[in-house]
Amino acid sequence: MAGGSLVLSDSSTLSRLDASLYRLERIFALMSGLAVFSLMVLAVVSVSGRNFLGQPLPGYVDWIEQAMPLIAFMGVAYTQRDGGHIRMDILVGRLRGRVLWTAELITTLAILLLMVLMVWGTWAHFQRSFDFAAPLWSRDSSMDIALPIWPAKLLAPVAFSVLVLRLCLQVWGYCRAIATNAETPVAVPLIADAATQAAMEADAVSGLEEDKGA
Amino acid sequence: MEPIDIGLVVSGGLLVLVVLGMRVAFAAGLAGIIGLIWIFWAKKGMDPEDFGWAITVAAKTAGQVPHSKVSSQALSLIPTFILIGYLAYYAGLTKALFEAAKRWFAWVPGGLAVSTVFATAGFAAVSGASVATSAVFARIAIPEMLKIGYDKRFAAGVVAAGGTLASLIPPSAILVIYAIIVEQDVGKLLLAGFIPGAFSALVYGALIIILALTIKDFGPRVTGFTWRERFASLPPALPIVFVVVTIIFFVYNPFGGDAWGTPTEGGAIGAFVVFLMALYRGMRWPQLKDALLETAKLSVMIFTIIWGVLVYVRFLGFADLPGAFSDWITSLTLSPMLILICILLAYAVLGMFMDAIGMLLLTLPVVYPAVMALNGGEFVSAADSTFGMSGPMCAIWFGILVVKMAEFCLITPPIGLNCFVVAGVRDDLTVQDVFKGVTPFFIADGVTIALLVAFPSIVLWLPGLV
Repeated sequence: MAGGSLVLSDSSTLSRLDASLYRLERIFALMSGLAVFSLMVLAVVSVSGRNFLGQPLPGYVDWIEQAMPLIAFMGVAYTQRDGGHIRMDILVGRLRGRVLWTAELITTLAILLLMVLMVWGTWAHFQRSFDFAAPLWSRDSSMDIALPIWPAKLLAPVAFSVLVLRLCLQVWGYCRAIATNAETPVAVPLIADAATQAAMEADAVSGLEEDKGA
Repeated sequence: MEPIDIGLVVSGGLLVLVVLGMRVAFAAGLAGIIGLIWIFWAKKGMDPEDFGWAITVAAKTAGQVPHSKVSSQALSLIPTFILIGYLAYYAGLTKALFEAAKRWFAWVPGGLAVSTVFATAGFAAVSGASVATSAVFARIAIPEMLKIGYDKRFAAGVVAAGGTLASLIPPSAILVIYAIIVEQDVGKLLLAGFIPGAFSALVYGALIIILALTIKDFGPRVTGFTWRERFASLPPALPIVFVVVTIIFFVYNPFGGDAWGTPTEGGAIGAFVVFLMALYRGMRWPQLKDALLETAKLSVMIFTIIWGVLVYVRFLGFADLPGAFSDWITSLTLSPMLILICILLAYAVLGMFMDAIGMLLLTLPVVYPAVMALNGGEFVSAADSTFGMSGPMCAIWFGILVVKMAEFCLITPPIGLNCFVVAGVRDDLTVQDVFKGVTPFFIADGVTIALLVAFPSIVLWLPGLV
């Protein structure tokens, strides 16, 4: 199983598009990370409000449920770009050159097919709760403090659309790799073997240890 | 074609996609949505005119899943636990723990190795990630063990095995995922992991002491720490104790009376304490931003598998595959205990090739109902059940067993990830060295799993109190 991997870049249009999209994906992922942070802050406010002020945070659970789609969807393209969605690479890890890029192209096209259908399906789900004529444009609302739910539902098709863009770039990248028979193509995650990957993981973690100068 | 046949064909197709290297989350989602299209279309007699209708209904059915399934309070524990893990590095907890464990336990035979195991167990209390735990301790503990003459293979094995303790001792993200998929109480599962996790650490410790007593020049004792030094080592490690105690008290109050809140709150308060500690140790926005991005990446990876698998599960429901599998399992004439052991062994094999989270999510929708049926159904009382425990208790017991199996796979060849990580950190060690060094722990884990199967009360005592 593999998680992290490497993406190379050069001066081609494809690579520049990759870099631009990556900036957007990073912002989206950071929003997701900040949402996790806000979960922590919400709980501290809620617990201390209940115990010290005798006043629980109104709609605590509603806010958590609103934050969850941010956390669950916003980073999806960022993770795909870096090859962070897990998979079994025991077979593709043994392939090289054009055979490898063809295999990657097929599975990437399969993901693209799924995500186009999911953008459609999640958009339909959003539309059912959105209505310009309704108060707060909302046909449904959360249990406790009646927050409109459509913004949270909208996050899924938005994040999935960015993933569709990312997949289109990766399809382009793999096609180019097949055409040029590149050993190390740009803009697509390269497979790192278990040892390299482990070393990367270890470096990341020990980087943290050294960062704080302990 | 009958729905059940469609279920089998599509599940076979899913397996092919996964083996071909398609990302697990998307492979499951695609299998689910294609299965839905197929089943709806088959209902209309495969009329070409109805194909468009089938796609529309399938896309809309699948489209409800991501938002409706992830907007849950219980699932918010997963990103919170992941965040605790990343913040813990900045809080300097790893070195503090190893130092404390060394001063308190290094005087026993094989002392440094025992200390390493206890330090990894302690670190497991703030980190749900086995692989990262091994990577960190490979840098801290192995050099110290080598300095006083440990065999390098054994020193590496200790660290690789110690890392596996992370997923049972709370906070454990994988137990939360299990609880969500099988729709059981998250708090009880988290509590249930505590004793088996600590028990595994004790078995490791006992094993090291026995080895040290029987093999000459194995691992010398380290003595000479004064009581003052011992107590001085405790405060830097205290946030760990705080996190564990908070999570436990927010689930279950051992002094009687109500729990202090929900597990969600407990996890978040724990994260906040570690966050304050990290701030105190010099973490600033650039490091926090890194931690948040890493948290986002790991969280979205897990949530994508969750919704992908749940799209597949929705299709499985239409195909009634879990029901058919349960019927088949309960119709077998083998003893139920033997069947359970076979299921666990199948996980051991599968785990050699697949990541734990992916493996559990892909298989549980079919395997879990079968195990429950084997015990006599989801709502069976302890008296009427096969394994002598009520339905919910059986769910907890099985959960701990499969998670322990998944951990076990982190140290088994051919791709025990923890061993690769340790070898990756240390230039002087090959993967084969680490696999050799980890072998005794491999056996110890076998013993632990056998004991957990034979004496379920080790798992069920603590959650039974709630």
